[in-house]
Amino acid sequence: MEAAEVEFLAEREMVTIIPNFSLDRIYLIGGELGPFNPGLPVEVPLWLAVNLKQRQKCRLVPPEWMDVEKLEQIRDQERKEDTFTPMPNPFYMELTKLLLNYAADNIPKADEIRTLVKDMWDTRIAKLRVSADSFVRQQEAHATLDNLTLMEINTTGAFLTQALDHMYKLRTNLQLGESVQSQDF
Amino acid sequence: MATQCENPVVLTPAQLICSLEQAWMNEKFAPELLESKSEIVECVMEQLEHMEENLKRAKQGDLKISIHRMEVERIRYVLSSYLRCRLRKIEKYFPHILEKEKIRAEGEPSILSPEEFAFAKEYMANTENHLKNVALKHMPPNLQKVDFLKAVPKPNLDSFVFLRVKEKQENIMVMPEHDEQREYVIDLDENSQHLIRYKTIAPLVASGAVQLI
Repeated sequence: MEAAEVEFLAEREMVTIIPNFSLDRIYLIGGELGPFNPGLPVEVPLWLAVNLKQRQKCRLVPPEWMDVEKLEQIRDQERKEDTFTPMPNPFYMELTKLLLNYAADNIPKADEIRTLVKDMWDTRIAKLRVSADSFVRQQEAHATLDNLTLMEINTTGAFLTQALDHMYKLRTNLQLGESVQSQDF
Repeated sequence: MATQCENPVVLTPAQLICSLEQAWMNEKFAPELLESKSEIVECVMEQLEHMEENLKRAKQGDLKISIHRMEVERIRYVLSSYLRCRLRKIEKYFPHILEKEKIRAEGEPSILSPEEFAFAKEYMANTENHLKNVALKHMPPNLQKVDFLKAVPKPNLDSFVFLRVKEKQENIMVMPEHDEQREYVIDLDENSQHLIRYKTIAPLVASGAVQLI
């Protein structure tokens, strides 16, 4: 799966906006939204929030976890532990990126948040590399990957699974070669 | 097609979209062609057509309309990506898929939708024809046949996949990677995530107990 497709899935996440227009409740195929009243917060999927923001029809309310103090705690925890710690949102990276790209003016300390999330991401990816390396070395047949997000799995996953497949093929061909040595040419 | 609509579980449109997205991801990550979700596809198509009908009648330039239109386009994207992904697999593995279809017992559900079955058969006939015209008919008579089942690689069921567990599973047998290891059993807890060979958990993907990611 490509990064753009993971982002597409992340756009389903609900975020809170404060609209500056009024509109009755709308009945989408995926559920109902609204009603929208100027100044009253309402939950909408991220794809709609970004679109409304681009048309200057709303202000975005950053998610609760998008806060310097909370993120610092998570980052420190992530650095301290050897395993993956739970993230505040399964799409934390994509949400940060989209919200900061399109609504940086509604998010206090946007630059600090960007750096913190990037730090968390880097720490986690480094851990993922190390564990992938030991997975391959020990020729394991199964691994548990709790708390990893879809984006993290997909940035390294495709490469890892392909590499494992190639190694498997080479290994099984080797075993096959040993059993049928008396091949006539 | 009447039997397919007698789905005992009635889904709300929101759940329907959700199950389409799950089918889409499973299809994207599974090495082999999964069972066709024709009833989901049909119901989603129906919803989309219904909505587009309504939108045509509505006043243009309205904010509401543009929101509806955006949603329709998002769903349409998932739907076509899902169907395209299946067609790609059919083109890649057509002899094996058709062979599976041939030996399928009566009453067992087909993994192909009727349209996909027609596509697969036509693809096979066209490929055969093309090979014949380009090269085979110039060959000596004893070399004029191609066995597609041997010539086209099979889907690699040994490949590794990532998955998230939706319903707890116990006693999943994990085969060793090399001779010094012993096979062992694992439990898959709900909401845990794993990296494992597709072959070990293929039935669980089909039953919907795990979601590929």
